[in-house]
Parts: sequence; structure tokens; C-alpha cells
Amino acid sequence: MVKYALQRTFYMIIVFLIITLMCFILIRMLPQPALPPEDPHSQVIELRREALGYNEPYLVQFGLFAKNVITKFDWGLSEKLYFGQDVWEIFVGKLPATMIVNLYSILLSIPIGIALGIFAALKKNTWIDYAISTLTMVVISVPSFVYAFIIQYIFCYKLGWFPFLMKSGTDWFSWPMFVSMIPAVMSLSFGVIAGFTRTTRAELTEVLTSEFMLLARTKGLTKAQATIRHALKNCFVVIVPGIFGEFIGILGGSLIIERIFSVPGVGGLTLNAITGLDYNIFILSTCFYTAIGLAASLVVDISYGFIDPRIRMGSKK
Amino acid sequence: MKRIISLLLVLAMVLSLAACGDNGVTPVVSGDQGGQNEVVPVNPEEVVEVEGDYIYKDAVSTLATNWNPHTYQTADDLYPQNYTTDSLYTLIFNDARHPVEGKEPFEGYMIVPAMAADYPVDVTESVKAEHPEFNIPESATSGFAWSVKLRDDLKWDDGTPITANDFVGSLERVLRPELLNYRAADYYEGTYAVVNGKNYALAGHASYLDNGIQGVQIEEMTKNEEGQYTYDDGKLVYIAVDYSLDWLGGDTLAAYVDAYGADMFGMDNWDALLALADQDGLVPCTDDNLALLSSVTTANPAWGESDAELFNYLALYESSYDADYDFSNVGLYAPADDELVFVYSSSLEGFYLMTYGMNVPLVKIDLYDSLLKEEQTASGSVWSSTYCTNVETSCSYGPYKVSDYQLDKSMHFVKNENWAGWNYEWINYVDPEDGLTYQMYQTTEIDTQVVSEPSTQKQMFLSGQLMGYGLQAEDFDQYRNSEYYYATPAETIFFLLFNGYETEIAKREAAADFDATTTDLQTQMLESFRRACAVSIDRELMAATVSPARKGGYAFLGDTYIYDPETCAYYRDTDQAKMALVDFYSIDLDDYNGDLDAAVDSITGLDPVTAKEKFAEAYQEALDLGYVTDNDGDGLSDQTVTMVYAMSGEMSEFYRKTLDFLNSQLNAGAAGTGFEGKILITPSAPVGNAWSDNLRNGQMDTQLAGWSGGSLDPFGTALTWTDPAQAYWGNWWDANNHDMTVNIDGTDVTMSIRDFALALNGTPVTVDGVEYNYGYGVADTEVRLDILAEIERQMLVAYNCVPIMQDAGGSLLSQQIYHVVEDYNPMLSRGGIQYDKYNYNEEEWAAYVASQGGSLQY
Repeated sequence: MVKYALQRTFYMIIVFLIITLMCFILIRMLPQPALPPEDPHSQVIELRREALGYNEPYLVQFGLFAKNVITKFDWGLSEKLYFGQDVWEIFVGKLPATMIVNLYSILLSIPIGIALGIFAALKKNTWIDYAISTLTMVVISVPSFVYAFIIQYIFCYKLGWFPFLMKSGTDWFSWPMFVSMIPAVMSLSFGVIAGFTRTTRAELTEVLTSEFMLLARTKGLTKAQATIRHALKNCFVVIVPGIFGEFIGILGGSLIIERIFSVPGVGGLTLNAITGLDYNIFILSTCFYTAIGLAASLVVDISYGFIDPRIRMGSKK
Repeated sequence: MKRIISLLLVLAMVLSLAACGDNGVTPVVSGDQGGQNEVVPVNPEEVVEVEGDYIYKDAVSTLATNWNPHTYQTADDLYPQNYTTDSLYTLIFNDARHPVEGKEPFEGYMIVPAMAADYPVDVTESVKAEHPEFNIPESATSGFAWSVKLRDDLKWDDGTPITANDFVGSLERVLRPELLNYRAADYYEGTYAVVNGKNYALAGHASYLDNGIQGVQIEEMTKNEEGQYTYDDGKLVYIAVDYSLDWLGGDTLAAYVDAYGADMFGMDNWDALLALADQDGLVPCTDDNLALLSSVTTANPAWGESDAELFNYLALYESSYDADYDFSNVGLYAPADDELVFVYSSSLEGFYLMTYGMNVPLVKIDLYDSLLKEEQTASGSVWSSTYCTNVETSCSYGPYKVSDYQLDKSMHFVKNENWAGWNYEWINYVDPEDGLTYQMYQTTEIDTQVVSEPSTQKQMFLSGQLMGYGLQAEDFDQYRNSEYYYATPAETIFFLLFNGYETEIAKREAAADFDATTTDLQTQMLESFRRACAVSIDRELMAATVSPARKGGYAFLGDTYIYDPETCAYYRDTDQAKMALVDFYSIDLDDYNGDLDAAVDSITGLDPVTAKEKFAEAYQEALDLGYVTDNDGDGLSDQTVTMVYAMSGEMSEFYRKTLDFLNSQLNAGAAGTGFEGKILITPSAPVGNAWSDNLRNGQMDTQLAGWSGGSLDPFGTALTWTDPAQAYWGNWWDANNHDMTVNIDGTDVTMSIRDFALALNGTPVTVDGVEYNYGYGVADTEVRLDILAEIERQMLVAYNCVPIMQDAGGSLLSQQIYHVVEDYNPMLSRGGIQYDKYNYNEEEWAAYVASQGGSLQY
């Protein structure tokens, strides 16, 4: 297992460097906006682009970037979106809002989703199962921003229970902040609940009809004991990686939900960086999410071995 | 008693004249020219004390991220500056001319000293004598140098005094060459910039002129000993191989060659030519190098150029800026802590002097310097700053200061108790609503939130949580007649474009997948067809149908342009501008008994009779030219005249309505002619930002494209329309090649439309050995209006485009607040936050909203 993990880590670093280099060059290959000849600012912009080294060979630019990151952990300054500001500080400053909203969302969604899935599986082919499954399909089919608008209209405007926007400030764990996050959390949760419900139901339904479950019952276990001790454990081989995935998604943020509820997170940062050709922000966010994604896949793969010892990581047998 | 009053009046007049002196500026007052021109200070005891909290709750879709006056780049970044800065002179409503008892609404405005202690004093003579470095012309006697005394109570929000040296230091920093500040050009370029600013800001750099614009023919140049061409007594000429050319829309030849390669250019010698380019992308212009260039631009017929057009690719060396240029030569200095002297390269006075001419981007020097940071780059280094990017790095010298800021989330302002403005003599005013006297800025705090979604803004507004809501298209039916509705006009005019690029249209028609039996692209090039289209569209109906906030557009300039800000005189109100419209729309003045206003009011853009006549004429012309056929003899064109609408994005409700309306109106106009039901504007695939390039290069035909200019400079906008590098039609219609004649002082003057536009904006133009300059301060205003109206008329009758709509916005104002004026004023809008008054304080407002069930009716 250790050898496997080390091997994967090595490959991960190689892939990370390749992706970083590719993105670094590709974003710079996008043409800078044409400078209107009649605009007197064009001259200064042209000089500034020259001073920024945009006209130097890409590999020369990448070399300096890599040197600054490796030796000083300096990701550079924003040139467009947040002029003159350290991009690392901007990124780190915006992460908490995204993380906390997503954290609340999955803490709410996963237990509910799994519980509904178990309930539906246990009540398979009853009206309860049909109701849950139908609702799940409906919820999965509708994008989360639709819920966001509906929730905002009903709970914030009509009923006035919650504020329209997430509260300003960095008191992330205060009660007013929590209340202000509820509409965004609810909007994000519906889809996650439905996803886990569907997965759990499907897996559990299959496991419940397995022969070993029959054996467990014939050996005298109650239905609840057999389900909890054997069926759930088996279906978690599929569910746990999904939970890991959700936790990793905490860092990603939802562009549209953050926009609707004014969550000052990282949701739109990468897209805005591409649109504004803010190279340093783009590269930082790309590197960050690439690293997180690669690490997550490693963790998920390794987790299989812990969840189900029958799965041997790195084994050639 | 009468004698005493008369004597006092005479004495007052004498004193006021003496105060102005020979060198003083006369206060600028707009609107009704009668009445009182001076600010009448209000007795502080008359000022009504207003108790309570008044929080202006605002929403923006994008929050400012950098409000450093030296580096900000977007309108969003200007937002905080509206509250945290001040100026030497400012505009106020001329309420002093409207006595309390009348309660007349404000109409005009006046310029008053703000940070300045008094109006500027002309010191041209003394500066000319004492400061030769400013090169004030020997003949100049006034308008080139002005002294301004500062108030002695100016302070930053932390209480630190502001002195004249802060102004000078701020200008030095914005222009400092190594900082490469984005806003530097605002202070070194143009008529209103102080002298020598450009020399300092661009120290160490060279500048070149684009010969595609200058038009110096190679035959007019001479060669030096090295064989390099020169012009204008020895200035060197280069080939702009990888150097931005204005007439290529700011692109370089290299960019075009990279993009199109052998499809458009001869590539045999391209690499050799490119290899010769220096770091600026320039190659010395010699015969050998011209031969290389010729092999690139003339070898491939697809590019369609000959040696006669090589001059377009040349860059003319203009000047080098001395690397050691000293800021002491720049036209702003401080003879004392409370005095500034501004020096200009041309004569300035009045409104432009006190607004644009004396605009200095003030920064708190010690804080600013501490935040500068040099970043290493692949080319060396570049400077940046975090000044004015958060609360800690901000400094205010305006009525409010930033008290809280969260990136991309919210911003909060509170009153700046150290603002000198609380002592300005005009800070108290008479409210025409109730006739009482108030201090400006009743708003105690400003709370600004990022609210990106219009639906959220609307719900928040209706819940009493925002002060205003910008109406969306779907809201107009419901709220257009609300008493809280305010319409705000804007400058942009939207035009329907036509494609006249004959060679490109021919290429498109020659394509294998083009069906010439059913489709025609050429008819749109006919003037008769375009004229027919122009009078087939009811402008107001189109605006109401497609974009209800907007209104009909009838000319190149809308009704918001002010040609004389000192009197707030609108260009569209002039006889010249009205006649241009009457001529273009073929209105017979006799039908209106010579009443020009009535004639203009009658214009809707729709003239079915003329439309039918012109479509019939166009049909016959198209048949004669073989653009269309009528093989079945049904009297209808076999082909549908098709214009491809360049779509920047996916099909939206706006696009769908626009296309449906245009197709419906054009075909209605063509009813009864050979083009009945045979005109189609069809959408392209989405092309993003490339839509304008597609129109310029003739690959697509039309769009509802917008154009605008500075609302106080209608004359400057003529430069844009007539510049082939900027015009959509630059590839097939050039204002340099079309002459026009204007009778000036009894003499007919004829030159190209472009030359007239240049001369109108202060560039001397020589025609037949005579130099013409009709710039501001050089030519009489009436002459300038004559020229501008004629340029506008000429551009209209060229039918490269047809004006369709004028931009505007509509919004609702919260019941918590009211404007002291109802009518929109381009200079002061409806007064801004300094004049906004509250019907309820926060406590009362919360109770009122609750009493309405939490949802307000508008």
C-alpha cells in the first residue's frame, strides 16, 4: 500500500506539472484585448504589457513564475481583477465563505440523503419508495439555481424568514451569519440529497437481495442487524467515495449560487480570471484545484482498501 | 431710502467687479441667464436640523476592487471615488436664483469653488516671464497659466492637512514614468492636460505616427545616406511589421499574417522581414525592405492590395522622450502651501478650465509611497500598489469615508467629519419642495451590497431594502407610469448597419454552398435600398417593442449632447442640428409653415410612401445590375435579399424581438414592390467579440451597433464616425475621400469630411495652401455648429448605417427618499446624493415597511 501511495504521489506530481505548464501557456496564448487606437490609455497599457513580460517567450515567463512559487511561494499580483493585490491572499481570503456554505450543505445533505435512500430501499416497491424515487428524479433534473430563486422568493421575500443575501463580515460561525447562509445552503443541498438518496437506494437494494444477506438472516440476525452490519457496509464502497467527493467539492464553490446569494467565495474566480485574462489568478486557481483533484483521487482510491479489505491497492493479483 | 438702496447696489456692483478684477474668472452659470449668479450664503441659524439615521442602501452588480485614482480601470472602481473625493471646483444647482418664496424647481447650475478658496486668477504674463521652461507663446497674454488659492482647512479623513504640495506630488506620481499608471494618460493627453506632462510620463520612450492615418506617400519621402526613407526634414520612416496600426483597429500586420497566412498574404519573404524587426516591431524603411513588404502584401490577390498602398504599413518617427526629463518642467507647481499654478499648452478658461483642466488625482503621499511594490517580471520589473484597495489603504478627502469593505461583497461609508466641505458656503441650500434650508448630504451612511441578480434587486427594493431599482425590460409595462419612475437618457445611439464591402460580398456569393437562385447579398449595397430601409422603421415603436427603456434614435448625435456646458446648451436644440434632421428625412418645411421645431417633432423615421418608392427603385436597379432575377415573371424578386446579423451571443429575447421587428417593418415597407416578403435579416452563429471584425471585413452584414461619445463634446464624436480605422465601414467607405462644403463667413470652404472633423477638433488642416482650424476657442461656436451639423448630415446620407434607437434607462426610486429635482440634468443628474432628501429615517422606514406588510407598492 505504501509503495502504491508513493508511486501514485510521484505520478501525481508529474501530472500536476504538466497541467500547470499547459495551462500557463494556453492562457497566455489567448490574445490580449485589442487596444483601441483612439484611446490614450492604450500607450500605457502597451508599455505595461511589455514591462510585465507578456512579449517574452512563454518558457521564460514560466521559468520566472516557477522560481517565484517554489522559492518564495509568491504567486504574483493581480493585474486586472484586483489590481496590485497578492493573488494568494485574495484566493485564501475568499475560500472560507465558499467552504463554510458547502460544509453546512453537505453536513445537512449526506445524512438526509443516505437516510432517505435506506428508507426507500427498505420500502422497495411501496408507495414510499415510489414517492422518494420520483421526487429524487425531479430534484436531480432541476438545476440548483432554480431552487435558489424559488427559495429566495418564498423564504426571503414572501415570508421574510431569512435575509436575501449572505451577511457581510468574517464572523463565519456567528448566529446571524448562519441564518443568512440558510437559503444558499438549502439551494445547494437539494441536489446532493437527491444524489445520495438515489445512490444509496440503488446499492442497498442490490445488496439486500444478495445471497449473503439471506445467509445472515438464516443465521438468526434480525433484518435491522443484517442491514446495518452487512448490507450498509457493502454499499458504502460506493457511497464513501461520493462523500469524499462532496467534501472536496467544498473548495470548489458554485458560481451561480454564490452569485444569487452574494456569497463572497471563489465560485466565479477562475472564470473571471479567464475572461479578464488575469494570468496570476488563473494559474493559482488552476494549480490549486488541480492539486486538490489529484490528491482527492488518490485518497479515494486508497480509501477503497480501508472500506473493503478485499480490494488490494497496487496488487498485481 | 431708495437712494440709500441704490447707492448700496452700486457699491456692491463696484466691489464685485473689483473682486473679479481683470484676471478673474467669471462664475459659470447655466440655464436662465437672468438673475443672480453668485452663491448666496445661508444664515446657519436658518438651516433645519435633521435628526436620525439615514442610510442610503445601494446595490451594485460588481463591487470596486481598486479605487486608486492613478490606476483604476473600470466604472465600478469609480464608485467609491464619488463619495470619498472632492475637487477644486464643483457644480451645484443654481438655487440662489430661485428665491424661497417662489419654490421654483432648480433649473440651472453654477460652478463654485470647493477645495479652492476662490475662482482662478490668470497669471499668464508673470509665468511666461518667470518660467521659460513652460514655453508659453510670446504672443499669449491670457489663458495659459492660472493661479488657484486653496482653502486653509483642507484635511484628509485622519485630520492631516492637505496642502498644495499634495496636489503637485500626486500629479508627479500619476505621471511617474516607471509606475506606468493606467490613468496617466488622463493627465498628459488632450487639450486640458497641463504642459509637458507627456514628456515626463513617457520619458525614455519613442513615439511613432501611423502613416495609414497620416497618409504621407512614399514619393513624398526622401532617403538618407543609409538608404532609409525620411520625412519632414529628416525624421526616420519605418515599416510597422509587428507594431500596432490604428487603421488595422490596433492590430499589427504580424497578427494578420499569423491569422491568415498564405490564404491572404505572400509568405515567401515574411520570415525574412519579421527577422529584421527591432524590439518595437519596426523595420527601417529602405527600398530592399519595402520590396520584402511588397512581396507579403501584394503577392496574394486575396489581400487585394498593390504597391500604391504600401505607405499604409509605415510608421513615422515622431519623437523620443528624454529619459532624464524633470518633473519641474511639468505645468503644475506650488509657489506656496496654499497656492497652485496650472500651466497649459493652449489657452483655457471657464467651465473646461475649472473642471477638466484643474482635475488632479489627489493621493495621500506618505500612504501611497508606502504601498508601492516592485514586482520582478520576465522583462525586468513592474510597479503596482494596493493604495485604495481596502479600508486600511484608503484615504478620503470627500464627504464620506470607507468604514468597511469586504472584497466582492460589500462596502460601507460613513460621514467624514474632517471634510472641509462642511464649511463650504454653498453647503446649505433651499429645498424647492418645502422652501426650507438644509445642509447637503442628509445621508449619514451608505451601505453598498453586491446584488448580481436583477430579480434579487427587485425583491429587495420592494421589501424596502434598496433605494433604487433599475427596471428590466419585463418591468416597464407595470412600472412605467409609477410616480416613482425616473427615465434617464444616455448618449449611445444604436444604428442598423449595412454591408458595402463589394469584393467580400462577391466572394460570399461565389462560395459553393451559396444558393444564388434564392438568396441575394448584393442589393443591400444599393443606396436606394438603404434609403428605403431607413424610412421603413418606426423608431419609437421599435424602442417600445424591443427595449422599452430606450427611445427612437434619429441622428448620429442624440438629445443629451451639450455643446456649451457653460450655458447647458444642447446640440440637438440648435437650428443647425434640426436642419440636418429635416434634410435627411426629406421634410418639407413649408408643410409646417417654416416651423423647424414642428417639422422635427413630426419625424418618426417612418415614411411609407417614400419607402415604397425607394424599394421599387431599388428593385429595378437590382434587376438591371443582375443582383436579383424575376424568371417566373410574377413581379417579385426570385431571391430574398438577405443580411446576416452578427450575433455576439446566443439568441436571446432581445435579439429575437429585434430581428422579428426589423423583418416585419422592412417587409411592410416593401409591400407592393418586387421586394415584398423578400427581405430577411437572419442571425449568424454566435461569434462573441469577433462580431465587429466580421462586420468590418464584410463577412457579416448588419447589427444594431451602438456608438457614443462624451456628452459634453459632440464635436469630438465626429472624429470617431469619420475615422476609417474605427468605422465599421472603413473597408469600403472612407470619409477622407468624400468632400463636403460649408459656407463659413460668406465663403464656401470645401474639404473632405474627415478633414473637416479634424479641423473641428483643433487639428490644423491645410487645403490648397490654406490652413484651417475650427477647434474650440479658435472658431466661433456657430461656425463649429454649422460644420458639425453638416458632417452629421453627410454621414447620414452616406447610408452606411441608419440610426434606430437612443439608449436610456428607467428606474424606480424608493419611497424613503426623493430627489429635489424631477428633470434630468446631464451635468448634475438629479442632484446626486448631496441633494437627496429622506421622507423617513431608518426607524420610521422600518415601521412604514412593516405597516405595508413588508412589501411596498410602486
